Amino acid sequence: MAPAVTMRSNRVFVVLLVLLFSFCQSFVGGTKEYQRKLIVSVNPNATTLPPGGDLLHVRAVGNDDTLHFLFCSQGAPTLLIVHTNSSTSSVQVNWPQFLSRNVSGGLRVEPQSSIQYSIAVVFSRLLEYDDVNDTAKPDSGFFPPYELQNFKWTRLQLFGAAALVCGKTPEFVNGSLCLKLSVFDSDGRAESWPRLLHSSNSSQLEVWLDGITTQAPNSRFLLELQAVGGDFPLSRVDVRQFIDDEFTPSIFKVSEWVSPAAGGSDVLGYVQWKPVAYRQSSPALEDATPCRYSDPQSQDANATAASSALIRAFFSAHNVTGLNVSFGLAGEPFYNSTKFLSWTVLVGVGAPPVDTFSPIVLTIMAVGLGIPVILLLLGGVFVCIHKRRQGATAAYQSIN
Amino acid sequence: MADFEEQQNLLEEDDESSSGERGSASGADRQMSAICDPSRALHRVVVLTFMCFLGFGSYFCYDNPAALQTQVIQDLNLNTAKFMQLYAWYSWPNVVLCFFGGFLLDRVFGIRLGTIIFSLFVCVGQVIFAAGAWLDLFWLMEVGRFVFGIGGESLAVAQNTYAVNWFKGKELNLVFGLQLSMARLGSTVNMNIMGWVYNKVAAAVGSPGYYTLGASLMIAAVTCVFSLICALVLGFLDKRAERILHKEQGKTGEVIKLTDVKDFPLTLWLIFIICVGYYVAIFPFIGLGQVFFIEKFNFSPAEARAVNSIVYIISAPASPVLGFMVDKTGRNVVWVITAVVATLAAHVMLAFTFWNPWIAMSLLGVSYSLLACALWPMVAFVVPEHQLGTAYGFMQSIQNLGLALIAMAAGAILDSRGYLVLEVFFCACICIALIAVVMLYFVDYVKGGDLNQSAAARAKVQKEATSDAEAKRRPSKQTQGDLARLAPMSAFSLRNRYLSRLGAQLPDHCSTHLSSLAYRSVLK
Repeated sequence: MAPAVTMRSNRVFVVLLVLLFSFCQSFVGGTKEYQRKLIVSVNPNATTLPPGGDLLHVRAVGNDDTLHFLFCSQGAPTLLIVHTNSSTSSVQVNWPQFLSRNVSGGLRVEPQSSIQYSIAVVFSRLLEYDDVNDTAKPDSGFFPPYELQNFKWTRLQLFGAAALVCGKTPEFVNGSLCLKLSVFDSDGRAESWPRLLHSSNSSQLEVWLDGITTQAPNSRFLLELQAVGGDFPLSRVDVRQFIDDEFTPSIFKVSEWVSPAAGGSDVLGYVQWKPVAYRQSSPALEDATPCRYSDPQSQDANATAASSALIRAFFSAHNVTGLNVSFGLAGEPFYNSTKFLSWTVLVGVGAPPVDTFSPIVLTIMAVGLGIPVILLLLGGVFVCIHKRRQGATAAYQSIN
Repeated sequence: MADFEEQQNLLEEDDESSSGERGSASGADRQMSAICDPSRALHRVVVLTFMCFLGFGSYFCYDNPAALQTQVIQDLNLNTAKFMQLYAWYSWPNVVLCFFGGFLLDRVFGIRLGTIIFSLFVCVGQVIFAAGAWLDLFWLMEVGRFVFGIGGESLAVAQNTYAVNWFKGKELNLVFGLQLSMARLGSTVNMNIMGWVYNKVAAAVGSPGYYTLGASLMIAAVTCVFSLICALVLGFLDKRAERILHKEQGKTGEVIKLTDVKDFPLTLWLIFIICVGYYVAIFPFIGLGQVFFIEKFNFSPAEARAVNSIVYIISAPASPVLGFMVDKTGRNVVWVITAVVATLAAHVMLAFTFWNPWIAMSLLGVSYSLLACALWPMVAFVVPEHQLGTAYGFMQSIQNLGLALIAMAAGAILDSRGYLVLEVFFCACICIALIAVVMLYFVDYVKGGDLNQSAAARAKVQKEATSDAEAKRRPSKQTQGDLARLAPMSAFSLRNRYLSRLGAQLPDHCSTHLSSLAYRSVLK
């Protein structure tokens, strides 16, 4: 369960290989991106608007498989991704069963046999603590936690393949906690920081705390996440270091909470994030604040199912692990300095995307290092010719 | 610095000169104690101490922003581009002032008053800077850095002129070495101490904020006040020595004629490009280095500051040693190529690997010292003596211009694209310097110039040159005194004048009034 930090010296050769690869790739003619067709529906087959929260269903259809993205704010906001190996699989919702949240089976993916893997992320609690001494150690001074299942959630707002939902609780006064889900049909990179690289097998969730009235002036926050991985729970967090911080300036690490396959090396599903949160909605470099996570630990599966309608409806038997993400370090400004905090996480199936260099970096290095070498070669040739020409016209000539 | 020999020479020469002086001194036959007698070694050691501390405050306060980068950015709500403006504003006045520093010191103020005025500028500038932080007015901080810049560089010229005036021959190596070490000591102490000072003040005041920053910078200004006191004392001692020993006020001897620029050869322009391309990848990098080491290599702030200061720590002992080596072997262009390639390797290491940055920064320190020792003396080989003042002034002017512009560019790049792109940008600047030095090698080779000659070959040329010059001079030599001093100097002795600043042994026949030109460039 401990995080694995990759820090070996042959990383340099890996970097050079990556450099070579990305160079060659751009020459060969672009990566073969895996495209999916996205079909978005809200509250599928519902006769009336379900009270308390909507259910978003995005079908991402590939050549021979389908990814079902389900996002629901009934109870705690939950994102569920189901991977099926058929391009004609569908989702059936038994609304009365779904809304009663008593038994499982309210949401089914047909045909059941085509389900390869499923991963769900539940945003269960928001914790606030009073950092009196500015140590950023969340071990005391906790206020009563905010249970996200008790929040009042707005209706889902759709923006193309993205959906926004906000929740309020009386303690926030005027503030809200918002979640924005974006589903992607191909590879790409988000526009705003931390500009996570995504593929068509992943979806991005942005969480932000806007305008919350804190209980103390020196408050800091923790967000509790729970993940359900079906047969393969998300048991460890890998931290990968990478030398390119071009898209997220000053951040050189990526944390991945993965569910390893039986065997250990393959990864079936992941929750990926960069250890940074931003204190402004259009952040600059100085608005970045670091965040840390705790080790994943087992959670009570029944409590999780009780808190989230989607979990109750889809999973019958499951393992739940959870971790806390804490925002801020000693010396960093508190939440009250800007009353805004945003954090982005990428959830997907398969192996997490790996960052590559951008063409600018490669070009500059190639040009910068190449020109002196070329000059040296040309100059050497020129000097040789010069010497030979000088040697040809000898100082002394024979007299007769 | 292996300077036992020089210590002995110091004492021997002083004994000779002091006995001679005592004999020729008219009137004033009081028996002054050794420490008060300007002709005795002990007094000159005292003067040397004051001379060394003259520049301490300026170098201490120059890198204050780098040592407190996180605090400055956080307490004043800046971004990195605005933070780097603090460095840019230091360089702007020196784009123009490099040409006028010598003129002001020789003709307008005189060395004594000039030193005091420039020290005052340094002190006042730092106080304005601290006041700007105290009142949370960023524009006032920029004004403070501007005023500080006016004084800073010119003070280095004054410091060198004092040294040349008080010390002769082989002692001068030791003196310049000590001045260099004190300058580097100032920078190093600043890097490692200011963070601690800030934390202590924050504990006393209660919380960090711009008050704390302003108070810390005021405490740093104490070193500038200390330097001002040294300037006043030095002025007094110099005036007193002039009265007792009947010698003139020192002069820089610089002559600047801007029209000479059209006569500069191609090799000199290439040297300018090397200078600019190289230094813009060093000083702005050190300015932004602390946070880089914290973020990328997970260093603690104290460790990050220590590794940031290693460049200065290494160059203090390395400069005289490497200068001696370059002097003994010659082949300056090859040394410059080595230094540039080593710096490129260091930057590539920092950019593309997670290897321990101590390695890369140590390499950077050594190559920075090597380049200073090999590059600046080349100007003297390429340009005739009467244009040297203009050439060095021009070189420093465009160096400062480059530093000002690139400091701002570096801040902007970091804000938008992060550290890797910034490092690649610095690598590109070094590659430009590398291109220029490769071209310099070939141009010099084709033209048959002597930039890359070994020291033995140079000595041979010098022997022939001086024997020729002696043969030419013999018929026209009339009197011993004044005209002999006006006789033109050979290229070899010109070169020695500048190499000696960096630790080599000075031959006895060279005069040193132009020495300050090359030397102050080594410090920057």
